[in-house]
Amino acid sequence: MARIEIKSDITGTLWQLRSKVGDQVEAGATLMVIESMKMEIPVITEDAGVILELLVSETQPVAEGQVVAVIDG
Amino acid sequence: MNWAAEIDELHRRRRLSEACGGPTAVARHHAAGKLTVRERIDALLDADSFREVGKLAGRGSYDAHGVLAAFEPAPYVMGLGRIDGRPVAIGGEDYTIRAGTGFGSDRRKGGQGGFIEDLAHAYRLPLINLVDGTGGSVDTARRKGYTVVPGYGQDGFERSVDLLGIVPVVCAVMGTTAGGPAMRAILSHWSIMVKGQAQIFAAGPPVVERAFGVKLDKDELGGSQIAVDTAGSIDNAAEDEADCLRQIRRFLSYLPQNVWEMPPPVVCADPVDRCDDALAEIVPRSSRQAYDMRKLLGMVVDRDSLFELQPTFGRAIITAFARMNGKPIGIVASNPMVGGIVDARAARKQGHFVELCDTFHLPIVFFADVPGLMVGVASESEAILREGVRARYIGLQVSVPVFSVIVRKCYGVAGGGFIDRGGLNFKIAWPSAQWGSLPVEGGVKAAYRREIEAADDPARREQEIESELRRLASPFRTAEAFAIEDLIDPRETRPYLCQFIDALQGRLRSDLGPKSKVGVRP
Repeated sequence: MARIEIKSDITGTLWQLRSKVGDQVEAGATLMVIESMKMEIPVITEDAGVILELLVSETQPVAEGQVVAVIDG
Repeated sequence: MNWAAEIDELHRRRRLSEACGGPTAVARHHAAGKLTVRERIDALLDADSFREVGKLAGRGSYDAHGVLAAFEPAPYVMGLGRIDGRPVAIGGEDYTIRAGTGFGSDRRKGGQGGFIEDLAHAYRLPLINLVDGTGGSVDTARRKGYTVVPGYGQDGFERSVDLLGIVPVVCAVMGTTAGGPAMRAILSHWSIMVKGQAQIFAAGPPVVERAFGVKLDKDELGGSQIAVDTAGSIDNAAEDEADCLRQIRRFLSYLPQNVWEMPPPVVCADPVDRCDDALAEIVPRSSRQAYDMRKLLGMVVDRDSLFELQPTFGRAIITAFARMNGKPIGIVASNPMVGGIVDARAARKQGHFVELCDTFHLPIVFFADVPGLMVGVASESEAILREGVRARYIGLQVSVPVFSVIVRKCYGVAGGGFIDRGGLNFKIAWPSAQWGSLPVEGGVKAAYRREIEAADDPARREQEIESELRRLASPFRTAEAFAIEDLIDPRETRPYLCQFIDALQGRLRSDLGPKSKVGVRP
């Protein structure tokens, strides 16, 4: 198992968490949704695994490239 | 045979060249998971089509009787070959011979100018460079007895620059590359590197450590995550060498041999009148929500014909070659999965791709869902305005036919970059389309501030103005005014575009040749 960092593709605000620590997620799952310029941008994991950490909370600003979650995949 | 001895000697010397850097060096190269340059060339070209030039070049040493005692082949292999039956000029460094560095020949074989580039220029053939060399060394000074100014003698790159206006140039980075070979890789229409095996940088880890005291491994400094995904210095990444060679063949399949020829059509098995029902449902009713533009494009273009360039860089925009009824086209599409918001990297990618299509006479189809340029300090610091305007400037200079399919949003400076004003200005929209200088939500407060503030219930007044403007924003009203050329059922997109792309082939044929560009890009 490897520690995989999930990064935001875009600068914006965390609008909605769609997962919680401990969840088993499939590859392609949406972990959270970031709002940027009135668009909802899904944060998607390319690997299946278990969520170890969620590093942002709703309404918090997020920068492009910022690690927003860590999964054990 | 009068010349039997010499002919035997010639064949003996050819065999010596085929041995590359010798069994030990070749075994080491293979052990690192790499093919030799000769194996790469054979794997890339049509079977038995390689006609090598300059195979006897190298360093011979002779015994007292003038007989060849030892031979080191030139560390560059090149010649003529065929891909899909069409001739190409191809060359690459032989890493098994002194890491592919120069060997002081009378004329350079290739790699940075040289015979193979002259051949591509003289015969107007595509050029493929398989880059696997480390470039110059301070040892040159010891060999020559003096130091040289960059760009001296054979290393001038003048020919490499000329080629970019007339024939397709592909560079594949197959190993660790810096200096001259790295520059050669960038001087191309399209470049690719092998993940994990190839790195490219201005200077490698030892130089960086000496300059900044930072220890990095070569992948951290110039692996595909940096060079392809982050910087866009190299366009595409390949999983392995076989994938890399496959992608090169694929890239060239969309392009003509040179700018005087038409992009090559193929026989299309996919019905032109295929109207995929899923196109009517793919765009969500909520204009905030994302959808898969690649899936949308796949339903419109010829089946399996989409080939994406720079898929991991500047991801707000998708740039791809594809075919419509067998004819090659270029596609620039918004990527709603990252909001479609154009940042500096996406704008740079768009400009480069549009110029590539224009140079080789591929019509361009835009698929717009663009809310605007990226705002904020980070984006402004990356010169979003300059990059965004430059993309539009390039777009306004193209002379190939351009279509705009407005799928959803088309706003502001970035949206204008999806519209052709230099040519026919042909815009077709889906019923989900909306457009303007900026979205209604953002603009009402600014445009009607006094009126809103003066109202008894300002919030209510703002909402009233917003809903009035929304009614006016219906694409049907714009279609009535013929301010959009057509509003179409999304399912008709493929037959509609195919018919126009078929019809414009004559225009392309009458407009072949190099593109002249004047002016200074912003």
